[in-house]
Amino acid sequence: MCFKGKVFSIEEFSTFDGPGIRTTVFFKGCPLKCMWCHNPEGQSFEKQIVKNTNGCIECGRCLDIGEKLTGKRILVNESVNVCPRNLIRVCGVDYTSQELVEKLLKNISILNDSGGGITFSGGEPLWQSQFLNECLELLRGHTHLAIQTSGYCDETIFLELLQNSNYVLFDLKIINNDKHKQYTGVSNTKIINNYKALCKSKTLFCVRIPLIPDVTDTAENITSIAMLMSENGASYAELMPYNKMAGGKYAMIGKKYCPTFNEQKDVEIHKDIFDKFGITIKIL
Amino acid sequence: MTPRVKKLLEILQNREYRKSRISKEIDISKQIDGKNKMERDALRLLVMLENETVCLFEDERMGFNRTLREIPFYIDVNGKRSEWSIGNFTPNYANVIGKGFEQILEEIDQKRTACSKEQTEFLDAAKIAIQSALKLAERYKETAKNIGNLELFEALRQIPHKGAKTFYEACVFMKFIIFTLRCNSNTHLTLGRFDQYMYPYYLNDIKNGTADNEILECIEEFFISINMDTDLYLGVQQGDNGQSMVLGGCDKFGNDVFNKLSELCMQASIELNLIDPKINLRVNTKTPFELFKLGTQLTKKGLGFPQYNNDDIVIPGLVKLGYDYEDAVNYVVAACWEFIIPNCGFDIPNIITMNFPKVVNGTIHNTLMQCETFEQLIDNVSKEIKAECDRLIKSSFYSLGSSPYASIFVDGCIEKAMDLSQNAAKYNNSGCHGAGISNAADALAAVKKLVFEEKTLDKQELLDALNCNFEGYDALSHRLLDCPKMGNNDDFVDCIANEIMDVFAKYLNGKENNRGGIFRAGTGSAMEYIWSAKNVPATADGRKAYEPYGSSFSPAITTNLNGPLSVIQSFTKYDLTNIINGGPLTIEIHDTTFRNDDGVQKVAQLVKAFIDLGGHQLQLNSINRERLLDAQKHPEKYPNLIVRVWGWSGYFNELDLPYQEHIIRRTEFSV
Repeated sequence: MCFKGKVFSIEEFSTFDGPGIRTTVFFKGCPLKCMWCHNPEGQSFEKQIVKNTNGCIECGRCLDIGEKLTGKRILVNESVNVCPRNLIRVCGVDYTSQELVEKLLKNISILNDSGGGITFSGGEPLWQSQFLNECLELLRGHTHLAIQTSGYCDETIFLELLQNSNYVLFDLKIINNDKHKQYTGVSNTKIINNYKALCKSKTLFCVRIPLIPDVTDTAENITSIAMLMSENGASYAELMPYNKMAGGKYAMIGKKYCPTFNEQKDVEIHKDIFDKFGITIKIL
Repeated sequence: MTPRVKKLLEILQNREYRKSRISKEIDISKQIDGKNKMERDALRLLVMLENETVCLFEDERMGFNRTLREIPFYIDVNGKRSEWSIGNFTPNYANVIGKGFEQILEEIDQKRTACSKEQTEFLDAAKIAIQSALKLAERYKETAKNIGNLELFEALRQIPHKGAKTFYEACVFMKFIIFTLRCNSNTHLTLGRFDQYMYPYYLNDIKNGTADNEILECIEEFFISINMDTDLYLGVQQGDNGQSMVLGGCDKFGNDVFNKLSELCMQASIELNLIDPKINLRVNTKTPFELFKLGTQLTKKGLGFPQYNNDDIVIPGLVKLGYDYEDAVNYVVAACWEFIIPNCGFDIPNIITMNFPKVVNGTIHNTLMQCETFEQLIDNVSKEIKAECDRLIKSSFYSLGSSPYASIFVDGCIEKAMDLSQNAAKYNNSGCHGAGISNAADALAAVKKLVFEEKTLDKQELLDALNCNFEGYDALSHRLLDCPKMGNNDDFVDCIANEIMDVFAKYLNGKENNRGGIFRAGTGSAMEYIWSAKNVPATADGRKAYEPYGSSFSPAITTNLNGPLSVIQSFTKYDLTNIINGGPLTIEIHDTTFRNDDGVQKVAQLVKAFIDLGGHQLQLNSINRERLLDAQKHPEKYPNLIVRVWGWSGYFNELDLPYQEHIIRRTEFSV
């Protein structure tokens, strides 16, 4: 039980991660590198120094100290304490499951009164499965528990975690495996297998589809997703249209956001295709 | 929205109505020479109204639009220019609208038969004022007839000399009252429980076959109409004009009185997107969830209202202060958030301000070196809070200008033949704001943790750092900022906040003022979160010198917040019935949260959670940081961008820079 997990954010009152008012815990680290990822600070499994650029007065003190210590104008641990606006922080906090659960329980009655609960997201929560499972076990019976996942992990791990969850938000992004590799960096074989396993299980779930212009929102891809869903008896999907602010946090971790798709293009919803397969959709 | 409403909205949004404004300095010193105090006030109104030009826009049915920018003035015996008059109360509209001015004049004449000289002077002045108001109405009536505005003409054949018969007439009467009181230099007049006192007219119209959408049109015309002159109703900043309206709440039996008319007012506000009236909803733990959802639909518009007020806390709080239950149950919200009693009350709820960070900072500077324990420091803070209360009370004693015309609208004045300024109202209490509670509690928590518990911070080092505004003390300033902060649901600091509020409230509540009333402690800050903070050097919470506090009862603006669930728990730990002068918790929510019904539902649940936890007052802002930043750069693109400032909403472009900046900084940690 001394195993520690790494979390990059705990968001109270997250409104789009399952039913009711929820607290969402974002686990740090993700095996996927989706081109449209809007939480780039969640990709690395390591701690990072991040700077919230909102409110920065560009005094340069954070970089001065980096230069002094490393010879390069970069953010370092010591930058945190020199920012006059307190905008720099270490991203990634280690928690034991007890510590995390104790923190989460402080809001539990508000969450439960609203028919909500706690969602574990990321990053990819399934890649810290032991830690996640400990948290789920400690919280079971206290509130409604959801996992938001890319589905990319070994099936045995996935099935074990399902046992302790009330609800799964499962991403289906691209069915064509080559394209999936191209845009996320990994194969979707495990994802599709886990999706089928999820459909066979008794755990409630919903499919989430990020709509990325000309990448995931093509008629071909949506048809493939709808077909996969309907073959496995699923009838409800939540669509997440591309967020034009997605690139907003890359500067925070010193990276550049370089999508190859046209960000400005409006996404296609393809309600007709979903209708054809008897799938109800909700746009988030 | 009907074509008529659309047209009026255009006149308003293009600021066309301002074209009819005339600047004219009218000095009435000669005319009032030798007259008694009461008559002077009445004559000023008379001259003002005589100089007003009838102004009616095409298709407009409300009338009474200001053409004179300035109100006449006179130089008093001390050589001082006298212009300002009393305000910040909720007139008894229902009484006057129901009776009409002729009956009020009869009441005055009856009373006049057995009166002292002073009383007669008051009553005579009231008569002059009423008669000059009636003359103005007569001129509007004639013009309406001449230009073929028959609906307004018909209405003015009935009112204001007789009581209103229909909802439309009652609305015109309302506008007439507001207009004449403003011409009488009465500021920050609030609209009170419009959905209650207008409800009989609504019901009567419906009975006579009027449809709801006709009532809605009339409400919308009235709402647009009270926005027309807001550039002349100046408070500290434009928009701070006091036109708040209260909807819903309970009656004295505890029944929910949110009615169809309340709903239509909400609908009008949602459709129009205007700064006035500022909607306040009265709610409680039993309020149907649907009302929270409707309120959230209005929040979604980004106007910074409705503000929620919790009957379960406010009513018992007012009763504890000595208000009769029947009056407390009828409470309304003054210009911003102050809880006042309509019709019969003349409280001045914003007369003094407890500047908490200043008191705490002073105590730390003067006594920390001698304190061996944190308890000693807290004791010293308590003593200083009490001493500051005494000083503030003394500073608040001044005499009010008389206002016989305004007095007609408050119960008791005609019966007693006494002016409001002579304490004729039933309640004459005074309120004290409590500014910067969170900054003060945060400062004490940091000292407790680092100096007394961890013993990792030397007292002298802290004082030195404060004295030089943290120059050269970067690391210490961050350690202070990382200490427990109010708003993160941490008992370590929340208990300290509770303690200082308790000392303040229990000491101040019930202390006598010089108007036969008492003082009431509150959690509001009004503009003091910027004004008072400007004189306060660096504080031990890590705040830099002269930086603003959180607005009213809110976290410090530099606090890295866990989120709204922690915030609402931190700010409901104290028994808020003890500190009920008013002052809301403010929460900023990013506008994308409202993008679908799920988001709206969940924000409504958040509001309900706050009410269930025992919060007294809540104000939510739907905010988009990028839009505000863009509006600073390109004001021309956003002529009608509305934001909440402190207890009121105004046009972003019309705010001074420090207020714009505070709103933008609040968004750095928004959801």
